Amino acid sequence: MDDIARKFQRDLNVGLVALVLLGILAETSDDLYGYEIAKRLHQARDGEALFKEGTIYPVLRSLAAAGWLSSRIVPSYSGPPRRYYRITDEGRAVLEQWRGIWRDTRDFVDQFTGDPSP
Amino acid sequence: MTRDDASIPRSINDYLAQLRGALDGADPAMIQDALSDAETHLRAECAARLGESEESILAAIIGSYGSPGDVADAYRQTEKTVQAAFATQSIRPTASRTTPNILRQFFSVYRDARAWMSLFFMLLSLVTGIFYFTFAVLGLTLSLGLAILIIGLPFLIGFIGIARALALAEGRLVETVTGERMPRRARPSETGGLLARIGTMLRDRRSWTTLAYQLLMLPLGVLYFSIAITLTAFGAGLVGAGAGTILQSLGLDVLPGTVSLGTSELTPWLALPAIVTGVLMLTALLHLARKVARIHGIFAKNLLVST
Repeated sequence: MDDIARKFQRDLNVGLVALVLLGILAETSDDLYGYEIAKRLHQARDGEALFKEGTIYPVLRSLAAAGWLSSRIVPSYSGPPRRYYRITDEGRAVLEQWRGIWRDTRDFVDQFTGDPSP
Repeated sequence: MTRDDASIPRSINDYLAQLRGALDGADPAMIQDALSDAETHLRAECAARLGESEESILAAIIGSYGSPGDVADAYRQTEKTVQAAFATQSIRPTASRTTPNILRQFFSVYRDARAWMSLFFMLLSLVTGIFYFTFAVLGLTLSLGLAILIIGLPFLIGFIGIARALALAEGRLVETVTGERMPRRARPSETGGLLARIGTMLRDRRSWTTLAYQLLMLPLGVLYFSIAITLTAFGAGLVGAGAGTILQSLGLDVLPGTVSLGTSELTPWLALPAIVTGVLMLTALLHLARKVARIHGIFAKNLLVST
């Protein structure tokens, strides 16, 4: 049963991770590196993030490859160099579009699955 | 698809080894990226939790970062989506054509950005080839020469380090031109002190195949450049001479004299075949460039990316 729930969550996350990452980077004026982003996700849900931190890295990379994020490498004293990400104007445009799609989808799904609590 | 096998990783190296195992069979360049991402993250996590044992941190990480199996699945999934996106982009121009016209197919190469990039790569490879060759020969001989002095070893280490950085940069260039997937991150280094890292770097087969690649880039670069420049010049020359001769015969004085091909003079009757040959030659060159770049991509991947 737990496995089925996990699989459902993972299928849902496929597109949502990208949306959330764009959202996080659009909200902040600083450049963020992967670990920082992971920690923000973590804090947002009291320690139990909806997706595993390991899954955000490949998505960050593909967003950068699409030109929606720009990145730069900064050497770090405490370990390997960090890659900092910043959202591009193109990325903001995509995010704006995706936000609309997400709202529509959420409202549509809610109509059928309903909210058990009033 | 959960692969949370009996063995729970106890150290970062353990985790990386399991991740490598879970990604077995995937593109080596992607494995390199995944390992580098994981290592960066896990080290940051350890740095943030100073004082705790690596084992207890790792146990927590499986919960937050994901098990090696989960993470491997995520990379495979993303890679598949991204490649599918790239694939549709490159197929689109030809796929929309329903008429299987051989001529059209032959000339559609002019619309292929990758073919133009490949041609540029062939021309550029003379420059990069000379640079890599000089760098490798200079570094190797100086390392040998300085070996008897105290600075010999640091010099060798610095040289190999720079060579590996150059390999990463070359990989980016080759991927841009050929589409062959190359690493986007530096390879994770082993844990341990500076000496251990240096040891792994010198024992790594890839350090030495990288040097071999850099040495081979000179003859290859010369070859690529010669082919590209010869065919470009010859093809453009034929087109130019043909066009000039035709304009000349129409009374427009564009040529200083007449053009001769070998021993015979280029007559207006021969001008049209000359133009056609020239255009065919230039088009064939673009096709050739695409092939050369593709083969070079596989070659570069074998020498620059460890398997």
